[in-house]
Amino acid sequence: MAKVLEGPGMGLMKKWGITVPHYVVVTSVDELTRLGQANEWLKKSKLVVKAHEALGSRFKLGLVKVNLDLPAAEAATKEMIGRLVGSITVSQVIVSEMIPHKEEYYCAVKSTREGTDVLVANCGGIEVESNWDRVKRLALEVGQQPAAEAFERLAKDAGFTGSLVKKMADFAGKMFACFDNEDAQYLEVNPVVLREQDSELIALDAVTLLDGDAKFRHPDWNFAFAAEFGRAYSRHEMEVMAVDSKIKGSVKFIEIPGGDTAMLPAGGGASVYYSDAVVARGGKLANYAEYSGDPPDWAVEVLTDKVCSLPGIKNIIVGGAIANFTDVKKTFGGIINGFRKAQSEGKLKGVKIWVRRGGPREKEGLDAMRALKNEGFDINVFDRNTPLTDIVDMALQK
Amino acid sequence: MSILANKDTYVVIQGGVAGVNAARRMAEFCYLIKRSLNVLAFVYPPDAGKTNEIPYGSGLVAVPIYKTIAEATHNHPQINTSLVYIGADRAMKGGMEALDDSHIKVVSMITEGVPEKDAKILGAHARKLGKVFNGPSSIGIVSAGSCRLGVIGGAFDNLVLSKLYREGSFGVITKSGGLSNEIIWICSQFADGITTAIGIGGDAYPGTDYVSYLEMFENDPQTKAVVIVGEMGGDLEERAAEWYGAKKRRTKLIAVVSGFCQESLPKGMKFGHAGAKEGLKGEGSARSKSDALKKAGAIVPATFGALGPAIKEAYQELLKSGQVKEPVEPAVLPKLPKTIEEAMKADEVMVAPLIRTTISDDRGDEPCYDGYPASELINKGYEIPHVVGLLWDKRLISKQEAEIIKRIMMLSADHGPCVSGALGTIIAACAGIGMSQSVAAGLIMIGPRFGGAVTDAGRYFKYAVDNKLSVDDFLAYMKKNVGPVPGIGHRVKSLRNPDKRVKELVGYVKSLNIKTPCLDFALAVEKVTSVKKDNLILNVDGTMAAVLVDIGFPVDSLNGFFILSRTIGLIGHWVDQKRQDSRLIRLFDYLVNYAAPKRREVPPLK
Repeated sequence: MAKVLEGPGMGLMKKWGITVPHYVVVTSVDELTRLGQANEWLKKSKLVVKAHEALGSRFKLGLVKVNLDLPAAEAATKEMIGRLVGSITVSQVIVSEMIPHKEEYYCAVKSTREGTDVLVANCGGIEVESNWDRVKRLALEVGQQPAAEAFERLAKDAGFTGSLVKKMADFAGKMFACFDNEDAQYLEVNPVVLREQDSELIALDAVTLLDGDAKFRHPDWNFAFAAEFGRAYSRHEMEVMAVDSKIKGSVKFIEIPGGDTAMLPAGGGASVYYSDAVVARGGKLANYAEYSGDPPDWAVEVLTDKVCSLPGIKNIIVGGAIANFTDVKKTFGGIINGFRKAQSEGKLKGVKIWVRRGGPREKEGLDAMRALKNEGFDINVFDRNTPLTDIVDMALQK
Repeated sequence: MSILANKDTYVVIQGGVAGVNAARRMAEFCYLIKRSLNVLAFVYPPDAGKTNEIPYGSGLVAVPIYKTIAEATHNHPQINTSLVYIGADRAMKGGMEALDDSHIKVVSMITEGVPEKDAKILGAHARKLGKVFNGPSSIGIVSAGSCRLGVIGGAFDNLVLSKLYREGSFGVITKSGGLSNEIIWICSQFADGITTAIGIGGDAYPGTDYVSYLEMFENDPQTKAVVIVGEMGGDLEERAAEWYGAKKRRTKLIAVVSGFCQESLPKGMKFGHAGAKEGLKGEGSARSKSDALKKAGAIVPATFGALGPAIKEAYQELLKSGQVKEPVEPAVLPKLPKTIEEAMKADEVMVAPLIRTTISDDRGDEPCYDGYPASELINKGYEIPHVVGLLWDKRLISKQEAEIIKRIMMLSADHGPCVSGALGTIIAACAGIGMSQSVAAGLIMIGPRFGGAVTDAGRYFKYAVDNKLSVDDFLAYMKKNVGPVPGIGHRVKSLRNPDKRVKELVGYVKSLNIKTPCLDFALAVEKVTSVKKDNLILNVDGTMAAVLVDIGFPVDSLNGFFILSRTIGLIGHWVDQKRQDSRLIRLFDYLVNYAAPKRREVPPLK
C-alpha cells in the first residue's frame, strides 16, 4: 500500500467530481504570498495551515493551525517550514479554506477479498470512532458497478433523510468511482461536511492509500508516495530502495534505532520468522532486511554494507530457508564482499555472525562463508540440518 | 493421490525467459519421477513459431511456442493447466486468456507486483467458472511423485533430499515461496513427506485462499495432515481457523503465523510481504491469528523452530493409529546427468582439449598477454609494439626494438589509393560493402606481388647470412632455386629515384649501433643488383624484412608487420569513401583492352 499526502489525495478526489475545499501546497512563505495575490479565496476565507508531511498527531505537535486570515497563515507557514520533527524536516505546508458547517458525516471505501466495501455514517469526525455501529456498509462484488439506487439505500440505511439522501448517495458514488478507477486500496473522508452557504457536501479531510503496483497505468500519478511509518526514510534506506528499484529480485532494508541484533536474512517470509525469533528470545532488532528472487550479488553487497554499518550491533543473523532458485553461492558472494569491506573499514569488531541457509549451490556458498573464519571473522555457519531459527537461539544465548 | 497437480496435469507456460527457466526445473522433476516432460507448449507471441529446447536427462525436448492459448490447446488438447510468467502490466490479460480457455482448469500466476484489483478480478472470474486461479506471486505447486508446476522444490539435489520423488501424507500451504521449500524439507525429515505443497503467494488477496485448499486436502484421502505457514495481515488465517473449527475434520491442521515481532516494533513500522499488513483497526495481528487457529483445534507451535517436532509428533500419532505406514524408499533414483563443467569440477571426467594456446588468456578480469596483465603493461609505459612482441614472438622487446617497429608501422600504414590493396577496399566501399568485408577485400591482395614479400625476403636473407653465403653465391642460389630475389626491385623507384622510406629506415637503424647482419647483407645485394638494372634496389619489404630478422622476429611473422600496418590505411580508405557517400564505380571501357574475339554467330547446339 502506498500512502498519498493530502494534496495529491484531494487532487484525485477532485478528478472524480468530489468537491474539496480550495487548497494550495507551498514550500515557502513567498510562494503563499504570491498565490494570495492571485487567488481571491485566500484573501476572503478563513484558512487552515497543516504541515504537508507523513506525520502522525500533527495537532499535538502544533503543526495544524486553524481559523487564520492570510497574514496569520503566512506567519504559521513561516513557523512550520523547516521545523525538524523526529527525522522529518517539514518542507511543505498545505493551506486550505475553512468550510463553515454544522453537520459532519463519514464516508470510506475499502478493499475486501470479495470486492469493495463502501462505508457511510451520518456522524463524523471523532464521533464516528465511538459510534462505529452507526457506520453502514454496502458490500460490492469484484467488478460490480452499482446503480445509484444502491447508494441511496445505503444513505437511507445510515440514517440520512430528505435531500441529503441523494447528496450522500452521490458523494459515495463518486468516492467509489475514484477508488475503482484510481486503483485505490483505501479512501476515507472524515469528515464529510455540509457547507452552510450552499448545502453542498465537501470532503474536508481525506486518507488516500493507492496500490503502488498499479502505477504503470496511471501516468498522472506525478506525486511521490509517503513513508508509512510516520518518519522519513533514512539515507541508507533510500540507497537500498534505489538499488531495489533497478534489479531483478529484491533487497529491503529498514533501520530500527536502538537495537543490537542485525538482520540479513533471505526471503520475505523467512525474514519475519527470524525477526519473530529475535523478539521471542528477548533480543532487540537493529533493523529489518530481506533479499530474495535471486538478486545480483552486488545488490546483496550493498545491503550487507548497510547492515554492517548499523551502530552498536553485537550479532548479525544471515538466515534463510532452503531457496527455490536463489543461487546461494552467488548471493553469499555479495554478502562476503560486504563483510570484507566492512572489516577493512574497521567495522564488525566484536560482532558475531550467524549463518543458516539451503538451496541451489548451498554447499559451495556455505563453504565460502566458513572460510571467512580464516580471515578473522567471528562466524558460525550451519546448513539445512539446523532448524531455521536455531541460529537466533544460539546468538542470543546469555 | 494429491490435489491440483497430478500425473494427468499437462502445462502451457505463458511467458519468456522466466518461463523457460521454470520449464527446465519442471523437466528435472519429470526426469526424477520418470515421467515425460509435462510442459507441452509455451505462449509467447514474440517467439511464436519457434521452439524452446528444454534439457531432459542428457537430451533436449523441443517445446513449441504459440501466439495464443487457443493455438496451444488446439494443438495439445491434453493441456489443462497454465503457468503465467508474464510481466505485471500484462499479467491480467494473460491470466484471463488462460481462464477463458475451456481446456484449462488451473491457472497459477508467478508474476509479482500484480495490481490488487487485477488479482481480485482474476480470482472472482475463476470462481465463477469453477476453475482454480492460484497466485499471483506464487512460487508454484508440487505434488510429490507426480507433478511440479514452477520452480517450487528448488534444485535437483533438493528434490531428492526432500523425497519429492514419492508421496507422503502432509499437505502444505504457504504464502512465502522460500518457506515452502523449508516446510517440504521439514515434512520429509520429521515425517514421511508431502502429498501436495502449494505456494499461494504473499499478496493481500491471493486468488485462492487457505480454505479452498484445505477443503481439497480434506477430500484427498492420501493427505492426513496439512501444514499452514501464515503471516500477519488480512484474515485468511482467521478464515482457515473458522473452517477448521466449523466441524470435525479428518485432516490434522498444523499452523504457524509470523509477525509477532510487530508487537515490539515502533508504531506504524511494517515489513514482509505485500499482504503482511495489519488492518487499519488492528485486526490481523499474528497473535489474533494464532489464537484463532489454536481455538479451532489446530496444532500451533510457539515458534517456527518448534514446527519440526510438532510435525513429527503428528506423524507418530498417524503411524500409531495405523492411518499411515512407513514409506518404502525406491532402491535406485535417477541421477541428473552433469554438465561437462560440473563433471570436470568433480574430477569425474577428463576432456582432451580441442585447441592449445600459448600467448593469451582472458578468463580473469582482464586479458593477459603472454602472462602480463594488459592494464599493468599500460601503466608501466609499454606500447602497441610491445604487445606485438608478446603476441607474435612471446617476448618483451626492448624500447629500441619497439621504436623500430613503430617506425616500420608508420612507414607502411598506407601507400595511396592506387595500390592493389587500397583499390580493392575502395571498390568494395563504393559498392556499399561493410567495413570488415571491404578491408578484407584489400587484405586479400597482399601476396607475392603486393606487400607479401616481407616473409620471403627475410627467409632468404637469413638463409644467406646463416650459411655465410657471398652475394654472388646467394644470387646464383636464388637464380637457380627461386627466381627474382624477394625484397629487391621496385616498379617505379630506382637508384636515381630512391624510395625515401627505405632511406629513412636504414638511416635510423644504422644510427643505433646495433648488429644488423641481414640488413648489411641486403644492402650488399642491392649494390650488385642495382648495377645490373637501375630499379633492382632494396625495396621497403626487403628492408623491413632484414631489420626485423636482425632484431629477432621469426621469419613466419614478418608479413604480419605489413598486414598490420596496411590495415590502418585500408580502414582509412573505407571510412573515407563512406564519409563521402561514394557511388558505385566501374571501369571505363577505354581502360580495358578488349582482346576477346569479335562478335560472331553462335553455332547450332550439337
